Amino acid sequence: MSADLTIAAIYADLLGTYGDNGNAATLLHRARLHGLSADVISIQPGDPVPSQADIYLLGGGEDTAQTAACSALRADGNIRTAAERGAAILAICAGYQLFGEYFPDSTGTRSPGLGLLDIRTDRLAQRAVGELAAAPVPAADSTEPPLFSERFTGYENHAGGTVRGPSVQPLGRVLAGVGNGDGTEGSVSGHIIGSYLHGPCLVRNPEIADQLLRWAVDRELPALEEQAVSELRAERFRTVLGH
Amino acid sequence: MASGKLPWRTRSALAAGRAASALSRATGRGEGMVIGGQVILRIAPEAIADLARNRVAALVSATNGKTSTTRLLASSLEQAGPVVSQPTGANLSTGIVVALSDADPTARAVLEVDELYLPQIMQQTAPQIILLGNLSRDQLDRMNEVAMIARRWRDMLAQHPDVHVVANADDPMIEFAAAEHAHVSWVAAGQAWASDSAVCAECGTLLRRDDADWSCPGCGRRRPPPNWSLLADPWRAVDPAGREYDLSQLGLPGRFNAANATMALAATAALGADPAVGLLRMQSVDSVSGRYGVFHVGALNIRLLLAKNPAGWTELLDIMPPAPTPVIITINSDYADGRDPSWLWDVPFEKLRGRTVVATGFRRRDLAVRLTQANIDHVVIDNPYAPDAPLPPGMRDLPQVDCAATYTAFQQLRTSGVPA
Ligand SMILES: [Zn+2]
Repeated sequence: MSADLTIAAIYADLLGTYGDNGNAATLLHRARLHGLSADVISIQPGDPVPSQADIYLLGGGEDTAQTAACSALRADGNIRTAAERGAAILAICAGYQLFGEYFPDSTGTRSPGLGLLDIRTDRLAQRAVGELAAAPVPAADSTEPPLFSERFTGYENHAGGTVRGPSVQPLGRVLAGVGNGDGTEGSVSGHIIGSYLHGPCLVRNPEIADQLLRWAVDRELPALEEQAVSELRAERFRTVLGH
Repeated sequence: MASGKLPWRTRSALAAGRAASALSRATGRGEGMVIGGQVILRIAPEAIADLARNRVAALVSATNGKTSTTRLLASSLEQAGPVVSQPTGANLSTGIVVALSDADPTARAVLEVDELYLPQIMQQTAPQIILLGNLSRDQLDRMNEVAMIARRWRDMLAQHPDVHVVANADDPMIEFAAAEHAHVSWVAAGQAWASDSAVCAECGTLLRRDDADWSCPGCGRRRPPPNWSLLADPWRAVDPAGREYDLSQLGLPGRFNAANATMALAATAALGADPAVGLLRMQSVDSVSGRYGVFHVGALNIRLLLAKNPAGWTELLDIMPPAPTPVIITINSDYADGRDPSWLWDVPFEKLRGRTVVATGFRRRDLAVRLTQANIDHVVIDNPYAPDAPLPPGMRDLPQVDCAATYTAFQQLRTSGVPA
């Protein structure tokens, strides 16, 4: 492939309920701003998942679509290959849950996930719907700089609460909203980021987009600010947190 | 007021409701319809059934197009006498009870019904026919899953085996709802937005699609052979006998209104009226509760367009005048708009390339980021109707500017603007 990097958008018809297109669009846009060329390939169920893409994106979906997507990914097998070789992966909402050991299906019964993240999801007492804001957390190894320095903003809409195993760091600490349900939001393990932030996630959090790009090209990329995005973020934090 | 043979309790409820609406209007708290309806239903919960008795011709439901389809069908049916309908698209129980109580008690009713309320209103009104247009994602922060609504509709039809259904064969969710029913006019009315019916509602398998045709490799469900069809170039409806109805003279624009008209023609025929006569009446409808109406706001004449979800926006962008004519897009996120505007990323705003977009509304900054990434020139303006607003050059000189808006912005412009 001629481009610097390949982005695989996985099963948008099943896992694309919350404007998840915006995540691929933002990666492409940020890559361009960094002077990188990128291709987005859209993978539909039935198509083989590429094993050699640089970044994989999975979005949110309804319960039945989530179960269908999980079965298709397990049968295909390549998302596991990609995760094991350290490819950058962003999994949102339903996509996040299905990366874990299990998640609740449409009847609330535990359905086996892909087991690529040490997380477990069960039903929350009440569906989490509304703006979600979170603060970045220190790195697990305190000698390392934290991955993120900016606050996170998004909208959440999910019925599951997620518990992390010891190997999984949270993405952030919840400032407003529910997130994982235990005061933390999202998960980071190796080069996999899972999150309940849609909105879509990367549109409102370009720092996460840049981190995925850094992992993909394996080098430092400078911070780049876009005025329209800064204004949107400021307006969201002002509205949701008051500052 | 429909009070002749009504039970005493309903009659007194109507009087109380009328008083409450009048009071609400007099104190400047809106049109009074919701208050009046609430009062009536609190005193006489059975008022809808009493008022509806034997005169409801049709209920119309869909995610998109139910207000326009209701208006088109009501106009068509007026060929056979007076028809009552909601004047403003108030499609919950309160709006329905007020519409029925305000009208000539002998008038037949054609009612628009919210998707979630349809089973309940069906039970109360026993209509001759129902129209099921389409189902897609809409206000995900509070609506149920699309497949769940389709299942509720299926259960509803099982309890009303005799009602005649006019259903869109091209929407697999609608087919799922009506598939088991004995009396269906299937209409090939098209489906511009297929992303919410990718998976079979019966068995969860990914549907196979080939243009408008669809089938399920898992359980064998497939698109039913249509009785009526919408065809393009020029838009026309074809009835079961092969007769064509030219839709190019409709007063309402766009593919989706041609689809709405085709559904209304099929319903007209199912009700025993003449579709050709109905079509002539439909042609005179050029604005529906403010949609497509032209209003004077500030120094601009705006043609007001309403869109509420990605399926609606996708079709709306096609009826705007071609580039480089600038347009106004207004995005709010109040309760009635849906709190979550992430759907902005599902709308093909790239269609607007080559012109300047005025981004406004409370969520104008979300729109600005979307337009930036789509490479579309835009200006972000808090109030584009202010005399000193920095509008794109030449916009003030245009005889008319398209303004597409989400629900609350649409209502605000419609009520504050002066019809032009
Ligand atoms: Zn099936």
